[in-house]
Amino acid sequence: MAAPVLAPAEPAVATAPGSGPGGLRRRLSGRRTRFGLLNATPVVVYLLVLFIYPIFSTLLLSVEGEDGGFTLHWYADALQGTNLDILLATLRISAETSLLSLVIGFLLAYWITRLRPLWAGLVMLVVVVPHFISALVRTYGWIILLGDHGLVNEALVGLHVPGAPFQLLYNEIGVVIGTTSVMLPYTVLLLYAVMRGVDRGLIAAAASLGAGRLVTFRRVYLPLVAPGLVNASVLCFILCLGYYVTPALMGGPKQTMVAALIEEQVMKNNQWNGASAHGVILLLLTFAGLLLLQLFKKAGEARRNRGAA
Amino acid sequence: MKDVRIDRRLFLRGVSAVAAGAAVSSLAACGTGTSRSADSSGTAGSSKTIVVRNSGGAYGDANQKALYEPFSKETGIEVKVININYAQMLAQIEQGRPQFDLIDNSMIDFVKFAKAGATEQLDYDRLKNAKNTGIPQNLLATHAIGKNYWGSVMAYRTDAFGGRKPGSWADFWDTGALSGNRALQHVDADIPELEFALLADGVPLDKLYPLDLDRAFRVLDQVKGSIKKYWDTGALPGVLLGRREVDASSVWHGRLDDLIKQGQPLAYQFQGARRQSNGWAVPKGTNNLDAAYQLIDFSLRPEVQAHFAEVYPMAPVVPAAYEKLSEEVSANLLGSPKNLATGFDADVEWWVANDDEVTKRWQEWARV
Repeated sequence: MAAPVLAPAEPAVATAPGSGPGGLRRRLSGRRTRFGLLNATPVVVYLLVLFIYPIFSTLLLSVEGEDGGFTLHWYADALQGTNLDILLATLRISAETSLLSLVIGFLLAYWITRLRPLWAGLVMLVVVVPHFISALVRTYGWIILLGDHGLVNEALVGLHVPGAPFQLLYNEIGVVIGTTSVMLPYTVLLLYAVMRGVDRGLIAAAASLGAGRLVTFRRVYLPLVAPGLVNASVLCFILCLGYYVTPALMGGPKQTMVAALIEEQVMKNNQWNGASAHGVILLLLTFAGLLLLQLFKKAGEARRNRGAA
Repeated sequence: MKDVRIDRRLFLRGVSAVAAGAAVSSLAACGTGTSRSADSSGTAGSSKTIVVRNSGGAYGDANQKALYEPFSKETGIEVKVININYAQMLAQIEQGRPQFDLIDNSMIDFVKFAKAGATEQLDYDRLKNAKNTGIPQNLLATHAIGKNYWGSVMAYRTDAFGGRKPGSWADFWDTGALSGNRALQHVDADIPELEFALLADGVPLDKLYPLDLDRAFRVLDQVKGSIKKYWDTGALPGVLLGRREVDASSVWHGRLDDLIKQGQPLAYQFQGARRQSNGWAVPKGTNNLDAAYQLIDFSLRPEVQAHFAEVYPMAPVVPAAYEKLSEEVSANLLGSPKNLATGFDADVEWWVANDDEVTKRWQEWARV
């Protein structure tokens, strides 16, 4: 969902620093440029029809009153009462999920970088394969694993863990377990790529200068993989915002997320305006996430520059 | 996201399959359209065809086996089937050329069809198996006629509650004496189960409608804390009960039959069952009325109704059918004389009028 949002924005940013209107005209008159623009036409038309138009019609729907005319009623409705609770729950679950999948993904990716290539491939497969199984089968799988009489709870009861069995399904814990398992491949793949790029020589150098393992990790390794961590967590968060299937399967009514609410409004209540308003809010939240990513990157660069100076 | 993508893919595959199916059947329908007109001008209808809409799946298979095939054998009229949804049917009827001659659907949808003026008024003089045969009056509507009962009942684990059986919805609600988790149906699956709350609170079976919404939601509040999951697919209650996630749940009758046969300690409780019915209606714009009435009438023969019930656990609406069924089969059918008395019919008119309001309220109630 995030990728196509970014795609059309980038060329616009790239052409913007064309020095003034005169420079722009000169650049457009070039033969190569004209040829380039001609080549771009199909893509532009494609995006206009299938991307820009639907987004604008959604925007229009979201500010259209029931008897026509302009209104912000749908936004007001989306931002109060149970609808607001759902929005907040969505943000909370997304944050919890990205945090958890960051921690687990970090450990997993780190472990994989230390494995031999063959084993690393196998572990990757284990991480990714569950996502090719149908949602229904996975639901039953989760019930067998996490239910009151599931594998996990039976084991905990067998070990006489105090408080067992725990309720791990149909509440927020269930949802976060489910969404984390779905998000894990993204974080693991992102972090793995970054970790593979870390120069082991730097670690060795830190050790040779007398840094302990903890200091090496904190002062050398963590800053090197920090961009990956930021990317992974923001990506996770944004993907989670629009999440639908897993929360519906593994949560209760209190874990309703915005996507499920939109589905409900369209399919059950035939309420397209309200659904559009929720969609636009979701889109804005996604943009906010991307903006945050940019800010983090800028801050990181600034710090590095200062460090270099 | 991965989830969503896979589902979208599955969905698209489903859509394309349905579209392909619709295309094939529309071709078939075109074919029958021409052959039909040729027939009416030519010889007697030995190669006639009727196109029936049903919801497909196991229900569609059962109809094929217990109804369409015997009908074709006897009359020589071939039965073709299409599976399209409510909105598609309505659109086709409004365009004046439906691909289907007969609709098999739930009576609640037929109320909406009749309101939209999409179905023909039924001529009961042409249905001799419907007249004075004891079919309940509420299934003999002006624009639709009932065919098979289905419904929601209580189900419980026989090894829970220390051997006690929940005998009514009041017991289901009594989470003190019969402690254990419960499950009820989600509003996404069907009309919500407000009637069960009112029955639990002591409203008699025949005084349910119009539903007292405030009272129903107040009573639902009492059981809310014990409800572990609101199930949204028909298979889920069986899984929840089978895995001991809950000890009692509402369930669409018939969905546990296989599990019970496999020896799982599960049972239905028919006391306070909410019945609905599938039925027939004739779309406006069909030029195959004779065959449509023939098939409706055929489906209401006691022996045909009984045979269907043996194939699929949906109950006959014709009382005489139960005389042809064994005690054992009959006891597990919602329309048997005994079960008819302990359950009630969902008031489809009331639900169509109030569905939107109740749905919205239910959604808000569940989330708080």
